[in-house]
Amino acid sequence: MATRGTLRLRSISACLAVFLGALNVLNTASCDEQVPLILWTSEGISLPRQSPPAAGHIVGQQQLTSYLEKVLNEGPKNVVLFLQDKMSIEDFTMYGGAFGNKQDTAFPNLEGALMSSSSPLVLPAVSWPASNAVIGQLQDQLDTSPLYMDPETLSQLRLNGSSPALLVFRLPYGIGADLMSAKEILSGNDEVIGQVLSTMKTQSVPYTAIYTALQPSREAASLSMEAGLGGGRSLLQARGGYRERERERERQRRIKEKAGTYAPVEYKVEELTSSSCCVRHGLSTDRTICNNASFILSSLSLSFSPGGEETCILLWAKSLSVYTLRSGRWDFHDLTPSTFGEGVIPKLHGSSCDKTKAKLVLNYENVLGYLNFKLIFAMSQRHYKVSARRWFTLDTVELEYNGTKAKFNGSRNVYAPAEYSYRCESVTNFRWPLLVPRSFNDPANQWRVSFEDFQIQGFNLTGNEFSYASDCAGFFSPGIWMGLMTSLLMVLVLTYGLHMIMQLRTMDRFDDPKGPAISVPQTE
Amino acid sequence: MLLEWMMNGHAILYTGVTLAFWSTILIVGLCYTIFDLGFRFDVAWFLTETSPFMWANLGIGLAISLSVVGAAWGIYITGSSIIGGGVKAPRIKTKNLVSIIFCEAVAIYGIIMAIVISNMAENFSGTTPETIGARNYQAGYSMFGAGLTVGFSNLFCGICVGIVGSGAALADAQNANLFVKILIVEIFGSAIGLFGVIVAILQTSKVKMGD
Repeated sequence: MATRGTLRLRSISACLAVFLGALNVLNTASCDEQVPLILWTSEGISLPRQSPPAAGHIVGQQQLTSYLEKVLNEGPKNVVLFLQDKMSIEDFTMYGGAFGNKQDTAFPNLEGALMSSSSPLVLPAVSWPASNAVIGQLQDQLDTSPLYMDPETLSQLRLNGSSPALLVFRLPYGIGADLMSAKEILSGNDEVIGQVLSTMKTQSVPYTAIYTALQPSREAASLSMEAGLGGGRSLLQARGGYRERERERERQRRIKEKAGTYAPVEYKVEELTSSSCCVRHGLSTDRTICNNASFILSSLSLSFSPGGEETCILLWAKSLSVYTLRSGRWDFHDLTPSTFGEGVIPKLHGSSCDKTKAKLVLNYENVLGYLNFKLIFAMSQRHYKVSARRWFTLDTVELEYNGTKAKFNGSRNVYAPAEYSYRCESVTNFRWPLLVPRSFNDPANQWRVSFEDFQIQGFNLTGNEFSYASDCAGFFSPGIWMGLMTSLLMVLVLTYGLHMIMQLRTMDRFDDPKGPAISVPQTE
Repeated sequence: MLLEWMMNGHAILYTGVTLAFWSTILIVGLCYTIFDLGFRFDVAWFLTETSPFMWANLGIGLAISLSVVGAAWGIYITGSSIIGGGVKAPRIKTKNLVSIIFCEAVAIYGIIMAIVISNMAENFSGTTPETIGARNYQAGYSMFGAGLTVGFSNLFCGICVGIVGSGAALADAQNANLFVKILIVEIFGSAIGLFGVIVAILQTSKVKMGD
């Protein structure tokens, strides 16, 4: 029975380890949350002192492995692992009686165990992929498979002090939405810990105990990026009420979870047809000389790529999404996974670029029921007399589907000097709109587009990187300017008033220091 | 001696304000230049993005406050002279109160204009320069201009009437015949305040704020 049981457990744990490993690989996104890890040994066993991590230091996988190695080499080989679903250091500060209310603590057994242990190890911040894989690490180091238990089954188990064993107790955490229930759950978990430790004590087997979790229970507080007017600060008008803000926060959280690093969409053209390559290599712009020179250079195989491609348009966004109005509801479709990401090659047929116009066409299939869906960005650049420089504008953003074109005009708000790229936190037509439908009966009125963290450049590209990004949010917002103007006026008024008051003098014409003092009689 | 001069309140105040103002301008200008962000210096953006309400309310505030400053200054000057002259020539008291009334009229012009201009401020529902519309911008700027006009006219009118009234009181104390002629000078001085009011009314005659 034991062999079959252990075989099954081995297979289960192997699958679990593979699954956890796979999860680890996929969880590259937000490694900025941490899970605490607490380790202690039974009474009487002392481990060599390990230097605790510096304050604020996040312990990674390698470091955790080394800590565990040191502990398991010197200490008992029976490991009791209390694995909670979720844990954060905030759980301890909130419910551990850390504010002078020791009697309200939810962890009496844990604290007792730590105090009676001679060498506890507390790692307040272990990166959660590392803590997620702690079962696998212990399994490797002890060379035994984990046994999933609860306190009842533990009392039936006979432990041997010499052979290694890994006992895992899964502790729940719960939804975490209701504050009261979190404390109760933690108290319940602490009771389980207490029972287990007392059982181990009655068996008088030395053990090492670890208390950690698979995931953090709380996200780190992030700065709320409120997209204001054109992506800038929204000091003037706080739109909507509480529900709007909740929706906004949800949206930001969803976007943050999606954020990864990926390359921008590049539209390349043949280099030889443009004279810019010759200019770059210091040759003349005459076509024949250019071609001959490039031929010679290429045959000498200098650093020049014949038939090379020059990037002409660059686009990057954290999220591209469209909504269409169907029977009173807005249907949502996220275009980001088909445009950006590792190994995603967007189809750019129909794009074009030249010195004054650039058009980027993103072709999609099967978007919101439309077989061929195109998202077109049309930009143009020209010289403007008053500012005496060249500017480029995003003239239109078009959605083409089933032969219908929905056009948004963006030239009013989306512009930047021609040498720079344009970047904006939020380019939409419904939330602080930068894009407006071409006309009031345009099909664009049935659509909503939303581009988050949007950056585009269609002209004067050198290499395949964006130039300096001219942000849509300036340094001073209109509110700041208005405040400054009014404050300046007040300061002027104050100055004037102070000047007036300071030139008031008491009359001293009739002062006579040597004469008799003025007497004011009390009685008539 | 330089230290004593510096300890003078006026000197500290004016050097402080001038220093703050010019250093702000210098630093802002330097930043625009160094970071090649000169293209962001956009007066049109400033004028269209700032709310017309700010301009309107600045106009209203300036209308009343500058007029009151003028009236106060005038009364302060005239009042001191009347009281001082009245010690030796008590007969001037009653007649010279008309100078005070001329100064007070300036403040009344100011408050009437402030009320008239503030009645023109209406709510509008646009948030972008296109949706706000040219008429609302015109309203905001007109109200600001009218406030400035009436404010500064009344400011200087008040001071003028005050100084003339002060002279009138002292002349009257010396020789009672002089007062009537000096009153004509005061009337001319008072007229300029009225000019300011008329022009301000003309400026706000075409104001129509709202949707």
